[in-house]
Amino acid sequence: MAAIELEHATKIYTIGEVETRALDGVSLTIEEGEFTALVGPSGSGKTTMLQLMGCLDKPNSGTVKINGQDVTRLNANQRADLRREKIGFIFQFFALVPVLSAYENVELPLLLNGVGAKERKERATALLEAVGLADRMDHRPDQMSGGEQQRVAIARALAPRPLLVLADEPTANLDTANGEQAMDIMARLNKETGTAFIFATHDQRVVAYAQRIVKMRDGRLVDGNANGSAK
Amino acid sequence: MTFKKFWVMAYRDLLRNRRRTVITFVAIALGLTLVIFMNGLITGMLDGMLRDTIRLDTGHIQIRAESYEVVKTSLLWRDLIDNADELAARAAAMPEVAAVSPILWASGVLGTASESTSVRVSGIDPASALFDPIREGLRAGEFLSGNGRGQILIGQRLADELGVGVGDRINLAVGNPDGVPQEGQFTIVGLINTGFPGIDNANVFLSLAQAQSITGSGNRASTVRIMLHDINDTDKVVAALQTPGLTVMGWRQLNEFIMTTMETGTAVYSILYAIIFLVVAVIIANTLLMAVFERTREIGILAALGMKGRQIMTMFLFEATILGLIGSLFGIILGAIVVYYFSINGIYFGDLGDVAGSLAFGTSLYTTLVPANLFLMAFWMLVVIVTVSLYPAWYAARLEPIEALHAL
Ligand SMILES: Nc1ncnc2c1ncn2[C@@H]1O[C@H](COP(=O)(O)OP(=O)(O)OP(=O)(O)O)[C@@H](O)[C@H]1O
Ligand SMILES: [Mg+2]
Repeated sequence: MAAIELEHATKIYTIGEVETRALDGVSLTIEEGEFTALVGPSGSGKTTMLQLMGCLDKPNSGTVKINGQDVTRLNANQRADLRREKIGFIFQFFALVPVLSAYENVELPLLLNGVGAKERKERATALLEAVGLADRMDHRPDQMSGGEQQRVAIARALAPRPLLVLADEPTANLDTANGEQAMDIMARLNKETGTAFIFATHDQRVVAYAQRIVKMRDGRLVDGNANGSAK
Repeated sequence: MTFKKFWVMAYRDLLRNRRRTVITFVAIALGLTLVIFMNGLITGMLDGMLRDTIRLDTGHIQIRAESYEVVKTSLLWRDLIDNADELAARAAAMPEVAAVSPILWASGVLGTASESTSVRVSGIDPASALFDPIREGLRAGEFLSGNGRGQILIGQRLADELGVGVGDRINLAVGNPDGVPQEGQFTIVGLINTGFPGIDNANVFLSLAQAQSITGSGNRASTVRIMLHDINDTDKVVAALQTPGLTVMGWRQLNEFIMTTMETGTAVYSILYAIIFLVVAVIIANTLLMAVFERTREIGILAALGMKGRQIMTMFLFEATILGLIGSLFGIILGAIVVYYFSINGIYFGDLGDVAGSLAFGTSLYTTLVPANLFLMAFWMLVVIVTVSLYPAWYAARLEPIEALHAL
């Protein structure tokens, strides 16, 4: 089954008199387990697309389906439920909860999902080990480097065993070495867990990791990659 | 459990901006202290007022003829008690009773050659311990003595007004049961200032025997006044003294006017409390709203993780609760210390009492510490804090996740 399907999804931002068609009738299908890069110039609508896919926002028209379920009609609480269970987010800034340790940050989505104590511990520990941070569990975000924080964010995104992880320019604030380490980890976890990853990126090295590349310009897909896998 | 984690997060979030948190604690603690102090002061004032009235004027219990009306100070024999001594002896035999004595009241006019003024005449037994408080108020001369023939005790203020002093002779006219005025010449033996205007401004004291003879009341009395060892025995003694044809009144009934004034007073003071609570509430709302603004992006992250508005709201309300609980704890302790201190040492008002002449409670105010009130005030403080926090918490919960994520 398709992990996510956009059908003629349109998102219009209105500021005063000015209307911006950030997304202009886009149709796109992402299969389960795909590792996809979303590329395009600044302002082409990548972030907007991820927000629709992540149920953070609703399209003005068209539909967004997650696992075949139309999510455009859900209310705020139902969308929160969906995000909690099915979607992991990684942001450009290292979006950890500052008052929680690395371990607690990874554990938080599990708590919210009602996972039992024992399993929470196993899963959070395993994920932090998988991102190479077994020795940083009790560190608060401000006690970790940017690269470490982003790896915690990767672990946290994967903790609820989501259907897909949405990453908006995850390497933009990292140096080359840390950026590659993060990409290596995500590529590996994609294979191990079968979780689909979608990256919005400008970074050619990130694009190099992708199995499939979706190109955007002015809120539309650049032809030839609307459906199906590239490889 | 998720809730447990919310508490932890709320607690740690409070530690992030320690200075702001401490300032908020201080605001809550001081606000509560102020409210507790005011409450202690008001309770103390009203208690003192009531205590003074009971001590100097009404006693705990009075027995009067059923038909007696205080405002009329009637001297008609049917309005008086004719077996006052017998009643007094019955009451005195009760272990709860500390002092008991009959009193005869009359209205009269006190005059010198040039001045005159209307007064209430109280005929009292000079030997009775019941009138010790009045004896203590003696400022010049002596108390009534012996059978009190020809002696009169008047308020210092009254004496000043009439331009008389100890040893001077003064005229007193009273009505008798037939309404015919009886006049007599009396020697002022003493001047009193009890600090209680109801006594000092318009009262003169004769011995009971003297009052009975000038009014032609025989051995009748207007009332039998009783002081108890313990005010809490009032109802019990009132019940025990019930006699057909007589009314036995407890201190509540005797001080109905003061009691109602106290109740209205308390309602008025509640408005003052409310103002203080409101000030603290604004500070809390501000603190939390600032926290919400600062953490807008974090709220977006939490929302992205699937946290619901309700849960985000809960987190901020927990923060408010912690602030409120700890602030109130300090407030209770500080408030109790302050009220306790002033309940022992009093707040000295200098000679204001003499100047104003209206302070029934003397020149020092004593607070009253009512432990239950401490917790009642703290409870209300907490209710107010959590209630006003609903707004910032609701504001945080209502943030759209994308807008929250955009912030910065
Ligand atoms: N909240 C908003 N209000 C108004 N216009 C917006 C808003 N968010 C995005 N836009 C506009 O929508 C268009 C698409 O923006 P989007 O952020 O999706 O681009 P992007 O591809 O992610 O760009 P970048 O690579 O710079 O991050 C842009 O023209 C942008 O100005
Ligand atoms: Mg973007």
